[in-house]
Amino acid sequence: MNRPLASCAITGPLKSAAPDYAAIVSSLLYQSGALGMKIDATENCSNNAALSFEFKTPHTTPITCNVTRWGDSSKQASVTENIMQAACGLMSVHGRASGKSQPLGLNYVSTLTAALALQGGVSASIGQLRGLSVSNSNVSMASAALLSMGQYIAGATTSESHESSGPRHVPHPACLPFISLDGVLFELETLDAGPWQKFWSEIGVSSAVAGKGWTAFLLRYAKAISPLPDELFSAISNITYHRISQICARTGMAICPVRSINDRAQDEDSRHVWLQGPWEFLFETRLKDGRSSPSTDNLPLSGLTVIESCRRIQGPLAGHLLALLGAEVIRIEPPGGDPLRSMPPIAGDCSARFDALNRFKTIREVDIKSLAGQAEVKELVQRADVFLHNWAPGKAVLLNLDHEDLAATNPSLIYAYAGGWATDSTAHSPSSQMPGTDFMAQAYSGIAKKIAETSGTHGGSLFTILDVLGGVVAAQGITIALLNRCMNNMSAKVTSSLMSAATLLCADDFQSLYELPGSGSASKSIIDTIYATKQGKIAVECRDLKTAVRLAEALGAAIVIEEDNFQDCLSDWFLSRTADEWAGILEHAGVPSAVVIEDLADLQTMAHLQPTLTPGAYTKVNSPWSFK
Amino acid sequence: MQVTVHIPTILRPLTENQKRLTITGFSVLEVIEHMEERYPGIKEKLITGGKAHHFINIYVNDDDIRFTDGLSTSLSDGDSLTILPAVAGGAEPALLHT
Repeated sequence: MNRPLASCAITGPLKSAAPDYAAIVSSLLYQSGALGMKIDATENCSNNAALSFEFKTPHTTPITCNVTRWGDSSKQASVTENIMQAACGLMSVHGRASGKSQPLGLNYVSTLTAALALQGGVSASIGQLRGLSVSNSNVSMASAALLSMGQYIAGATTSESHESSGPRHVPHPACLPFISLDGVLFELETLDAGPWQKFWSEIGVSSAVAGKGWTAFLLRYAKAISPLPDELFSAISNITYHRISQICARTGMAICPVRSINDRAQDEDSRHVWLQGPWEFLFETRLKDGRSSPSTDNLPLSGLTVIESCRRIQGPLAGHLLALLGAEVIRIEPPGGDPLRSMPPIAGDCSARFDALNRFKTIREVDIKSLAGQAEVKELVQRADVFLHNWAPGKAVLLNLDHEDLAATNPSLIYAYAGGWATDSTAHSPSSQMPGTDFMAQAYSGIAKKIAETSGTHGGSLFTILDVLGGVVAAQGITIALLNRCMNNMSAKVTSSLMSAATLLCADDFQSLYELPGSGSASKSIIDTIYATKQGKIAVECRDLKTAVRLAEALGAAIVIEEDNFQDCLSDWFLSRTADEWAGILEHAGVPSAVVIEDLADLQTMAHLQPTLTPGAYTKVNSPWSFK
Repeated sequence: MQVTVHIPTILRPLTENQKRLTITGFSVLEVIEHMEERYPGIKEKLITGGKAHHFINIYVNDDDIRFTDGLSTSLSDGDSLTILPAVAGGAEPALLHT
């Protein structure tokens, strides 16, 4: 196992962080440990406004990494993971499929924030090594949360086609995943209409109904809803899982049961992935110098070049993050351009969702299947620092664009693969026949089941949580490899995946299973509820009795928290004012709360989120980092 | 039969930037052939080996033609023919051939 940052350290008051930051610190310590860093955690000082730690390397002055709650530093309202999910629209997108806003049941925003905070420190160090005067990196939980919403916000804020598919609009009785006659929950996946058509034909569903289902099935990636015809659910529920699997094998449809994290933990590679962290580094070539070319701007990666050959979400988001850090990203698209450029809604002359992930990139149209195209890629790579792809397992070898091929062209190259499964080798995929898509990875990794347990649903989220976290992890891995190249003169191959992102997201669960059996999960809050109000909904969380008492006082309610019916009493009290009014009152009382964003277009009207968003043809999410 | 064809942004350079075209034809294939006569080059963007490209979805009204009669799907006066690229997340699917 390679530990690329073994000579680095993080120091700071990480032993007993303020409750708002506890999950961030937990993930930060896991990530730092996996990278081999020395951790010097001190007791928390009295400053609860921000979480601050230092990122140190032997070759730079320490970078102070600040994590705040909101992008607007004047807003200090206390938050929790779920309050952030409510305030930034995650609950809304996750809730579209089930018809009501609800939390994911994962420390999702906290994990993203930790990854971005660490990446800020790593990037700033690269900046220093390249001559940039930088000593501070800042991120906020809100900026991390909104980053995950970028595509959905783009879709909801174009003038051409306003998408207001908040949870209230789409109550649908039949939801994914499917359930078999013998009660097995499972996901199906194909990105081609052919297998879909053959599969449902064998199940006994008419082509017309299967066709309507196909359109809805494709929609789920973009809109987080999948209103499949009821006929599909009822037809498949009459067949056993074993027979459905056989039909899948015959028709080319992929199938994956919804597994638990416990199931995942039993897999042969699972413990290794957990110990290794979400990135796999392979260091091979020792260079004469680490190509610490000088920074050309005031961003840490400016002057570095990234060649990206990725489609859909995970890979393009990784490239987008590197562009936000200043890198020049050259995106390879097939001749005629990426078809997703025209995915509605359109802002100007490009899909808003596509633009949200690709707006800072230079486009080169290359037919990578042709020898001439492959030669063109190699020529681009000669002058590049990073090559990033998310091709199907085994494809890089077929294209003569594998790590070995490109390392021969440019020995100092960082070669990055952002895959679906933990490896790009077809032989070692958990199932080489399973497409590496978000929903399959959620089902296989145990994430879907964990979400289901919290959400009261059967399966995972149609919000593409692993695509987004996978993109952040891929960009983080590349940045770490770049820092290692600067410090140790080593080029590298770095592999990350949706599956490794899933392991990061549930690192605490794996720790409980592997190292501290019976330790159980973190204590549950006394109140963690979404209340209807006179207008809108409000999310409220009280971690402890003291906060619950403050809540009762703020409501002016004679409610005894210890009594069984206090939840019902609270529900009635909240109906007397609007969500906005309650949010002001509860913020003053120090009770974590937020108006639940149901229509993503409302995000741009929230004053405290303004620093994180830029209005225009669609609302763009700004870089999560600022450097000083 | 006269139908309205909705053109995605990516193909608009071929249609003089028009978002919608009014084209006649009794089947999807005929409509595409007629479009090709007016806007050369568009057919190869939509069809390969006698079938629609796998990354292009063609709908007649709300129905994906792959689940009706493909390019032979018949059309009625006033039908709407929509061309959309496919979308998905994650890494490239293992099943997708190079």
